[in-house]
Amino acid sequence: MPSVGQSLPHDSATGHVTGAARYIDDLPRLDRELCVDFVGSPVAAGRIRSLDLTAARRVPGVVCLLTYNDLGGPNHFGPIIPDEPFLAAEEVAYVGQPIVVIAAETVAAARKARELVVVDVEEQKPILSIDDALQASSFIGPERRMVSPGAENDAAFEEALRSAPHTLSGRFFSGGQEQFYFETQAAMSIRGESGDIRVISSTQNTTETQAVVAEALGLGMHEVVCECHRMGGGFGGKETQSAITAVMTALVAQRTGRPARLTLRRGDDMRITGKRHAYQTDYRVAFAKDGRLIAAVLAFYSNGGAFADLSTSVMERTMLHADNAYHVPMLRVTGQVCRTNLPPNTAFRGFGGPQGVAVIESVLEDIAKVVGRDAFDVRRTNLYRDGDDSRNVTHYGQIVRDHVMDETFDRLAASSSYRHRVVKVAEFNAASRTHVKGIAISAIKFGISFTTKFLNQANALVNVYTDGTVQVSTGGTEMGQGLYTKIQQIVADEFGLEPARVRVMATSSEKSNNTSPTAASAGTDLNGMAAIDACRKITDRMRVYAAGLFASAERGLVAAPEHIVIDEGAVWDDRAPSHRLDFGQFCAMARRERVDIGARGFYATPGVDYNRETGRGNPFFYYTTGAAVAEVTIDRFTGELTFDRADLSMDIGRAINPGIDRGQVIGGFIQGVGWVTNEELRYNDAGHLLSTGPTTYKIPNITDTPRVFIVDFIDNPKHQKNVRLSKAVGEPPLMLGVAVWLAAKNALQSLAGDEPVSLSIPATSEELLKRMAALVDQAVPDEAIR
Amino acid sequence: MRDSLIFYVNGSRHEVRGEAAGLTLSDYLRGGEWLRGGCGSLQGDRLCGTKIACAEGDCGACTVLVGKPADNSGSLTYQSIDACIAFVYQMDRRQIVTVEGVQDGPTLSPVQQAMVDCHGSQCGFCTPGFVMALQGLVEESDDNGPLTDDALRLGLSGNLCRCTGYSQILDAGRRLDPERVPSISTRYETAAMLADFATLGDGSVRVNSRDTHQSNGHAPAPPPVDIFLPSTLDELLAHRAKHPDARLISGATDIGVQFNHGRVAPPAIITTQTVSELNRLEVVDSELVIGAATPWSRVEAYAKDAIPAYHAILTRFGSPQVRHAGTLVGNLANASPIADSIPFHYVAQSTLELASVRGRRDIPIEEFYLGYKQLDLRRDEVIVAVRTPLPKENVQLRLYKVSKRRDMDISTVTLAFWLEVEGNFCTAARIAAGGVGPTVVRLPRAEESLIGRPLTLGAMQTAGRIARDEIKPISDVRGGAEYRLQLVQNLFAKCWHEVMGEEAFVGTTP
Repeated sequence: MPSVGQSLPHDSATGHVTGAARYIDDLPRLDRELCVDFVGSPVAAGRIRSLDLTAARRVPGVVCLLTYNDLGGPNHFGPIIPDEPFLAAEEVAYVGQPIVVIAAETVAAARKARELVVVDVEEQKPILSIDDALQASSFIGPERRMVSPGAENDAAFEEALRSAPHTLSGRFFSGGQEQFYFETQAAMSIRGESGDIRVISSTQNTTETQAVVAEALGLGMHEVVCECHRMGGGFGGKETQSAITAVMTALVAQRTGRPARLTLRRGDDMRITGKRHAYQTDYRVAFAKDGRLIAAVLAFYSNGGAFADLSTSVMERTMLHADNAYHVPMLRVTGQVCRTNLPPNTAFRGFGGPQGVAVIESVLEDIAKVVGRDAFDVRRTNLYRDGDDSRNVTHYGQIVRDHVMDETFDRLAASSSYRHRVVKVAEFNAASRTHVKGIAISAIKFGISFTTKFLNQANALVNVYTDGTVQVSTGGTEMGQGLYTKIQQIVADEFGLEPARVRVMATSSEKSNNTSPTAASAGTDLNGMAAIDACRKITDRMRVYAAGLFASAERGLVAAPEHIVIDEGAVWDDRAPSHRLDFGQFCAMARRERVDIGARGFYATPGVDYNRETGRGNPFFYYTTGAAVAEVTIDRFTGELTFDRADLSMDIGRAINPGIDRGQVIGGFIQGVGWVTNEELRYNDAGHLLSTGPTTYKIPNITDTPRVFIVDFIDNPKHQKNVRLSKAVGEPPLMLGVAVWLAAKNALQSLAGDEPVSLSIPATSEELLKRMAALVDQAVPDEAIR
Repeated sequence: MRDSLIFYVNGSRHEVRGEAAGLTLSDYLRGGEWLRGGCGSLQGDRLCGTKIACAEGDCGACTVLVGKPADNSGSLTYQSIDACIAFVYQMDRRQIVTVEGVQDGPTLSPVQQAMVDCHGSQCGFCTPGFVMALQGLVEESDDNGPLTDDALRLGLSGNLCRCTGYSQILDAGRRLDPERVPSISTRYETAAMLADFATLGDGSVRVNSRDTHQSNGHAPAPPPVDIFLPSTLDELLAHRAKHPDARLISGATDIGVQFNHGRVAPPAIITTQTVSELNRLEVVDSELVIGAATPWSRVEAYAKDAIPAYHAILTRFGSPQVRHAGTLVGNLANASPIADSIPFHYVAQSTLELASVRGRRDIPIEEFYLGYKQLDLRRDEVIVAVRTPLPKENVQLRLYKVSKRRDMDISTVTLAFWLEVEGNFCTAARIAAGGVGPTVVRLPRAEESLIGRPLTLGAMQTAGRIARDEIKPISDVRGGAEYRLQLVQNLFAKCWHEVMGEEAFVGTTP
């Protein structure tokens, strides 16, 4: 029986539930190991006047304090624009920006030293908000533009806007979001006998960590190995920023010769690492009487923080998702990253997609109000239509094909009793004086592939042993998403083995070089295909060898590799199926006959290309799509929101592991719900983050999940590509969380007149109460004394 | 007097002296002695299954079960707590069970197996905490049949997960039938442990960190800690008189957080939960008496039928883990202006019983708070108990806790209404608000506007507007001042609707 399609438990599930699964801080202490800590900038912007390390050095147990002067290489890095110093030299650009690295015998000594380092800074007025940055023209990278085919001509475009029956314009805000991986950023470094460095890191990006450490330390990449056994969550937060702890520990290991480890405390992690970008978007849309979109202008501004990190790439994905699942005949999109004095914002599941999707979904809700149709119908009208040349081309020129979005909408309408519930919600709202309900649907069409072409590659190493067991290594990292389990299933099927005979090894830059981050939802797509390539090289050789083995002149069987079957833990010739060799036995024989039963595989996603300058191309291999209906109840006195029900339907192709994929969909969705409801990053006027732990930063709790929660998958026979005909699933469901926000907006709309209501992300109780109070002057209607 | 702590971890006996006694339980289990200066050696393996994700008792990744001798039943009862905000010195004569200790041999426990089968783990970092919280629910369950959705949601509300969205964890929980899950007690030699505890006796214990600390030149010497576990109130008071700087510890659920943030490191500690006479809950002369060491979970069980309005918000104080450890008196003594319990006790006009070697005195709760975290409590005094008049039938008691997130969140605003109603008339009104100033406050002008008048929506709205003028809240991370003003005003109307009008309906449309 094939393993793919089975809901095998996560390959570490037993380790998870027994506590045996190790994370960085759990690894055994090494001989003479040092504890690492750091001192960060006390201010958001300023110049360092002086640094006094004298008192800190005197603390018993402190081994060294290191600054940028101790780096063996250049003091800058960055995945796209190398504008970020490892350790601040003269300027500081955000609160907590690392300046001094401390190594000590104990945590207590390191902590004490941290208190005693004196950083004298000449404080400058920080730029914190997008508005601040716009005023100061403080930007990262140039403004990017995308203009849909047919919208290039200014006059024609303006005319389309002018002559449309309706237009809407406004400004949309969405806040940032902390990844809140449970295991904070963590790394451990060990210096080898020839000055080489081994970094064990909680990272989504072993290659980048290897490269960054090598650069900072002045080593060749061949002198650095980066390993990642597993992460206690990543969500994008460990795509680039895992470098901070890796470099600190590596620097200590290099300078002292002793092993060094650092697991950030939660408060430090939240203060100094980047998050999902806050956005501000100006929009103007034109639409027909039935709500059909005619033309739109969207100007996105993101809060990039102090350094470039991945911000320009995040913005690119926002712009590529400005349309979401809807065809906008004439669309003009611009995007500008703002440079501010916050930690450099970075990847977070969705990677800019959510910020784009939320705007158009909000606009469609408003359009429905203006034209007096149900928002479901307005959305359905505007969907990309498969096979309709007039309604299937995106603003970047890619054709949206082979999807089932219409069917998803129709099925969801029926399965969620959408029409009936819309009536019930209206009845409830007419009757209730204490609560108000809302219901909404939203969609997702998420492009799968890195929009940076070269990243769409992967390699894999497959070693088959003489007992017929298999080890697989890829550049894909395990952060809980089940990549290892899926690779295990894919490889097991290639050899026709029980999955227990296949083991996925810890990710290491030693086994897989020049790998891409495990990101863009593409971990299984890329690494699974690379693993298959390696497997097929081996099975091809096995077939040639086996053909000779099974050839028999007496029985008239000439050697024929195409007749060799490798399955069910055995090898045979399908013309003589009764004569089977056990797979392990066969592998041992193959080795003795000098057949190579190990191989390296490679994969490069075909057909993806995108020209950043012209804003045209096929950036995506395919799209993962879906939709969700959500219903909420809001307390009119307090603004407290109760999430009553969710119905999700997604096309994720043929699931390699339905149990794992279900977890990805639900987990991603609830993370999206957190972004649009209660997750709020609060800073003070000086740029200090106030919400620095779970006490003040509220990710969804179990009691925030809906009582009725129906998750369904829709079959899509048109999807005939990608590894085992699956689709990527990591990021897309997050954006369905927007449905909950839309339901809240829908509820508020029922209190308003004909004007569309404004609402920001996140719709906290405070935000909801403020908007309700503005709508009805005060949240509670005054009534005659009874 | 015994000078060491004795407890069991997964069935192994631990005897702890000196510095290790002052560690958080999670640091101790994970091998934190090494981290803090190599003092002493951990007995047995590092138990790294107990994870630290927040060190604030806010995520539950560090959940362990603590077993203590049940009254006269010859068994241990196990309850979940957050090990990151508990201290080793609270564990004397207890058995601690970690995730490494729930399994019997190579076979996974039913809870573990259900989590595996239902895909209840993704990254796995929070998983040990969920396994322990689920096991704790099973241990505490006295209903027949599988755990209900409500029980699971409430019971797991102290555990956060960032990966799963909880659905598959709920699936795992629904699959468990407590009657078929063996209790932790059956895994360990309970009788032998109880016999050991009995031999040790319930005398007081004193542990001093100076006993073991030897400077090894590798770490700054930690401040010496003098830890006293009295067994009687007299001992406690006598010790208190001699050590006025000592910090009284009951559940440690707040000081644990402050300790981890490096904000407090008390030089001396006196525990209250070792004094059995402080662990009381009884009704005397129609007053509810709650002792200083009575954990929230006991109050919760009592209030369920006796004071439903109190119970309803009480189940949202902290988390199940916090309520197993923390106490009402700890909450009152901690004196946060947003302490969840204070508004109710203001409007109920509770009395605090204080004691010292000099004698006893009673003080009305409102007179106890002098300013921000300032108490009318002399240096040698302790709170012994809280007496609270039970609401009579004509009392409309409504308690509100508004927080950003429904569960496991610190309040933005709290409000308590005690309205005595005869016919349609309000004959007495006491209203208290928290989160709107340096202490919880009564709202006398709003109260006055209601007394002697028909209890109409208009009257309550007017009172709400008056209340708004009686307070001066600040803006902070939990909400803006304007939001707090609006909340206080609106809660008056909300209260009216709940008392006189329609019931609030929350749930999906049929």
